[in-house]
Amino acid sequence: MTSISNEYWAMRKDKIRYGFDKAKRMRVCYLFLLPYAILFFTFFILPICTSIYYSFTYYNILEPPRFVGMQNYVNLFLQDEVFMTAVKNTLVIAVITGPVGYILSFLFAWFINELPKWPRAIAVLVFYAPSIASAYSVFLILFRGDAYGYLNSILLQFGFIDSPRLWLSDPQYILPVIIIAILWMSMGTGFLSFVAGLQGVDKSMYEAGYVDGIRNRWQELYHITLPSMKPMLLFGAVMSITSAFNVCDVPRALAGYPSTDYAARTIVTHLFDYGFSRFEMGYASAIATILFLIMILCNKAIQSLLRKVGT
Amino acid sequence: MSVNNNIPQGVPEKKPQKYTRADALHDQMVRLGEIQEVKEPINKKRFAITALIILLIIVALVFVANWRIGVLEDIQLRLSNGEVINELPFDSEYAPIYRLIRLILYVGGGIFLFYALITLLAPKRRKPNRSFWGDLGIYIMLIIIAVAMVFPLVFAVSSSLKPLDELFRFPPRIFPQRPTLDNFSDLFVTLSQSYVPFSRYLLNTVFITVVGTFGHLIIASMAAFVLAKYDFPGGKTFFSIIVTALMFSGYVTGIPNYVIMSRLHMIDTFWAIILPAFAAPIGLFLMKQFMEGLPTALIEAAHLDGAGEFRIFWSIVMPNVKPAWLTMIIFSVQSLWNNSAATVIYSEAKKTLVYALQQIQAGGIARTGQAAAVQVITMIVPILIFVFSQRNILETMASSGLKD
Repeated sequence: MTSISNEYWAMRKDKIRYGFDKAKRMRVCYLFLLPYAILFFTFFILPICTSIYYSFTYYNILEPPRFVGMQNYVNLFLQDEVFMTAVKNTLVIAVITGPVGYILSFLFAWFINELPKWPRAIAVLVFYAPSIASAYSVFLILFRGDAYGYLNSILLQFGFIDSPRLWLSDPQYILPVIIIAILWMSMGTGFLSFVAGLQGVDKSMYEAGYVDGIRNRWQELYHITLPSMKPMLLFGAVMSITSAFNVCDVPRALAGYPSTDYAARTIVTHLFDYGFSRFEMGYASAIATILFLIMILCNKAIQSLLRKVGT
Repeated sequence: MSVNNNIPQGVPEKKPQKYTRADALHDQMVRLGEIQEVKEPINKKRFAITALIILLIIVALVFVANWRIGVLEDIQLRLSNGEVINELPFDSEYAPIYRLIRLILYVGGGIFLFYALITLLAPKRRKPNRSFWGDLGIYIMLIIIAVAMVFPLVFAVSSSLKPLDELFRFPPRIFPQRPTLDNFSDLFVTLSQSYVPFSRYLLNTVFITVVGTFGHLIIASMAAFVLAKYDFPGGKTFFSIIVTALMFSGYVTGIPNYVIMSRLHMIDTFWAIILPAFAAPIGLFLMKQFMEGLPTALIEAAHLDGAGEFRIFWSIVMPNVKPAWLTMIIFSVQSLWNNSAATVIYSEAKKTLVYALQQIQAGGIARTGQAAAVQVITMIVPILIFVFSQRNILETMASSGLKD
């Protein structure tokens, strides 16, 4: 018994020593990594850690942080009704724009892939332009609340409504308008990755598939294209989760900040409110931590779901 | 590139038609009766020119018809006002006929345009598993969605060209009737009157963008190089942390970042924007994935020739990953150019261009025209960059997949 465990520990030691030797031999690699690693640690890892730490404290920048235990989280879930609205809005936006944007960007990338070279380049530009231009303020004019707004004037002319609707101030309409604007901008980095990945799928696989009895494009999509696109699908999923949960600029620009009745409040705008307007950094950190946890969990779930695709 | 080098110069010779595997498969399918033989393919260039001429003729005819209708309506109006006109034009009675012709031209032109587009877009040889009706449906859908995607952008541009009275017109029109550049010139007047000169804002943004992008390129490429090409303890773990970090947006880390910056005494300096930009995970991620495609033999050969690690990185790896660094530059420029930095920079003289423009945009109803001009200026820069680098970006994105 003891001999086995001794052997085991000897092996572990060897392994560790081997690792150290290797690290010593490869020390130039660490030198290359060092500048990036320092900056990455300072501005990406450290903030996450301090955010978790501050979330257990009361901290207003002027005084040193005071430990308050779970108080922030208790307040957040039991007393802050606005936070609950924010969570509800964020989930509604994420559940609609995330999957829909993701599926649409894959489908359009797939359709565009069939076009000849020049029309394809133009189509990629047309679909990607809204997301790089991030010109969501155009929706301020399109959905303007008076009769000069586009939607209002069209609806008035055709007699669907008899007075202009306040699309961006009426709590009833704010969320749908924001969802439309976000969907319009959802063909982002993931879409580009899909377009490029589809170009790289081995053409002979399609011919082989034809010989093996695949008879239409949907079968081809399911049996050949999707399995060979899996890496891009995973990358696109990370990107669309990020953009689905970090909704902040669009509601702030369109619905105002704060919006009527908090109808457009999302987790991130709530965080901004407490962090940069009220300087309650501890409370804001608790919000950030929760958002971060939601995103990590969501990512894990989707990655395991996507691994099953086409296998 | 150099396939036709063996052809003697001066002898005009047609490029030999390649008989690819797709062609072979197509012929096989024709023989088996699976698909119909495609008719002699049309000459697309000639077809495009002919179609363009026909369309131009149709447009010209529509213009003529519109002109005549306008003249006749004018005469009608004057007659109904009781004026006496001595010389009536010969076609004074033909107005309904002109209207009919115009309608026919509209419908016919539309159908012809659609036919021409379909013919030009159709692939020379239908790929296996593709039906004509399916392709047609997809094309129509793509065209409709593309119009919907482009509409807000077109609208943004056209409203920046509208004079103030047309911006508040009921019912609003998509295209301006008297386009002007007044909004842009007004914008420059406003900017030149501001407390801090406009050039200062521009200089700040350019400084942040150039320094941030350059540093990011060097630092992240160095890290990407060792992560992609060497197997050292901790490398894989580090990369998986970076993949998770793709999800950290600036919002989640914003507040602790602010505290860290203030501890480092970097609040209200450009470094508060530039240093985090150096470490942007997306750039490192794309670069690493692209570098994995480089043959390892290249690096080993350089090792055997006695080149040091840094030499290999600088003169062998970097020149070979040009598409990736263009992509990195573009992503970095995009995020830095649009960075308003409102939370970390307080002094007016250090504010960025986007911040100044947003202040103008927030100026209310009176500045509606200028706000539209601002919108166009901020969106045109990233779009132009993308137009010129699309090929390189797509080449890089092809390796962007997340492997298990």
